[in-house]
Amino acid sequence: MNGRNVYLITFRSVTYAQRGERLLNRAGERCSLKRTPRWMEEQGCGYSLRLQTDNIERAVTLLRGEQLPMRKVYLRREDGSLEEITL
Amino acid sequence: MIYLDYGATSFHKPPAVRRAVLQAMERCANPGRGGYPAAEAAAETVYVCRETAGKLFDCKPEQVVLTSNCTHGLNIAIRSLVKPGGRVVVSGFEHNAVVRPLYAMGAEITVAGRRLFDWDNTLEEFEKALASGVEAAVFTHVSNVFGYALPVEQLAAMCQSHGVPFILDAAQSAGSLPVKLKKLGAAFIAMPGHKGLLGPQGTGLLLCAGQTAPLLFGGTGSESIRHDMPDLLPERLEAGTMNVPGAAGLTAGMRHVLRYGGAIRRAEHRQAERCARGLERLGFHVFSGEHQAGTVSFLPPFDCQEAAEKLAKLGFGVRAGLHCAPLAHESAGTLETGTVRVSFGPDAADSQTDAFLHAARRLTGAGGTS
Repeated sequence: MNGRNVYLITFRSVTYAQRGERLLNRAGERCSLKRTPRWMEEQGCGYSLRLQTDNIERAVTLLRGEQLPMRKVYLRREDGSLEEITL
Repeated sequence: MIYLDYGATSFHKPPAVRRAVLQAMERCANPGRGGYPAAEAAAETVYVCRETAGKLFDCKPEQVVLTSNCTHGLNIAIRSLVKPGGRVVVSGFEHNAVVRPLYAMGAEITVAGRRLFDWDNTLEEFEKALASGVEAAVFTHVSNVFGYALPVEQLAAMCQSHGVPFILDAAQSAGSLPVKLKKLGAAFIAMPGHKGLLGPQGTGLLLCAGQTAPLLFGGTGSESIRHDMPDLLPERLEAGTMNVPGAAGLTAGMRHVLRYGGAIRRAEHRQAERCARGLERLGFHVFSGEHQAGTVSFLPPFDCQEAAEKLAKLGFGVRAGLHCAPLAHESAGTLETGTVRVSFGPDAADSQTDAFLHAARRLTGAGGTS
């Protein structure tokens, strides 16, 4: 994946998403908090981080290093659709 | 009025606390419920409160559960840790916020360490109780009646060596004495937001390191499909709409403590010491000793409630009676009389204490029933 792609990282709770937001922003990975689209959230009502980066692996490693319980990572395709990716 | 009832609540809050409460009321909707700016502002306000508490008490933001007061937190902690009918050791200086929930669960309670200001007695008695196979320990950091600061670090180490999880009641110490979740290794630490942390009433914190059992069930703004409560903290223990203005005010109070905590601790301790010595010189029976925080109890020569009433007429706010802690009074032998309690706060100063002692002098010559 070359260039700065847009990703959505979903979390089970707003508190973890907020901690993730601070962690990534401090590490220079600009991201923002948003509600998770309903279709992505099997359990209903969740929060996500919208992240534009050229190194999603680094971002996910940072979050895992803090034991932040992420649900899934999605890549936004050029047509606007979202594809779940595995890291 | 000179306010000397900080053991009940902090009365003179830093101006930043009032401003924060007002701003939150003007700007915040419901946290964790919406994606529009006012809801996001509310979620941010709550998170900053957790983050600030994390800095002050050495824990992660998600370990900080916002409660409505210390009693609320203690009820959650006790329900989480103690099985119905379980064996529990408590200190001889516990508040009803500990004793009543334990009785309600039918716990078999061992009271350890009833001698005031006597760390050796407290530690010896706890050692015996812990060795006897209790399942959990609950102890206060500082007695709300007498200001006795228990040897919590040693008690924590003792509990850990016996593999007994414990709850610390930091109602009288949070904001005045160091309280660190990680260092102490507590399963739970409960505290009010409105006393030493200088926040608004209706706020409290429960720091969680142990397995939790919800006390309330309902909406959390997360995992709404589930019929049970989410298993993640803090949402698991925070059903229903939160007190966002309270959280904003509590954050401002904690920031004040982060900045001035050392000075607050020294001022309270100094004035408690001066007050105790002054009351002794006036001939009162004063409960004081080593390991005393910013609270002093004494016995007037007549009914303690009448004495407090006379002091109120002279312009002093103190609290008399049993202070919701009959166990502590039983330990000290004052269950029949109660005591008059003087408790200092961040504004503690020589002038306050001197004025109070001047007023207290008038009790020595005063008659009984007015």
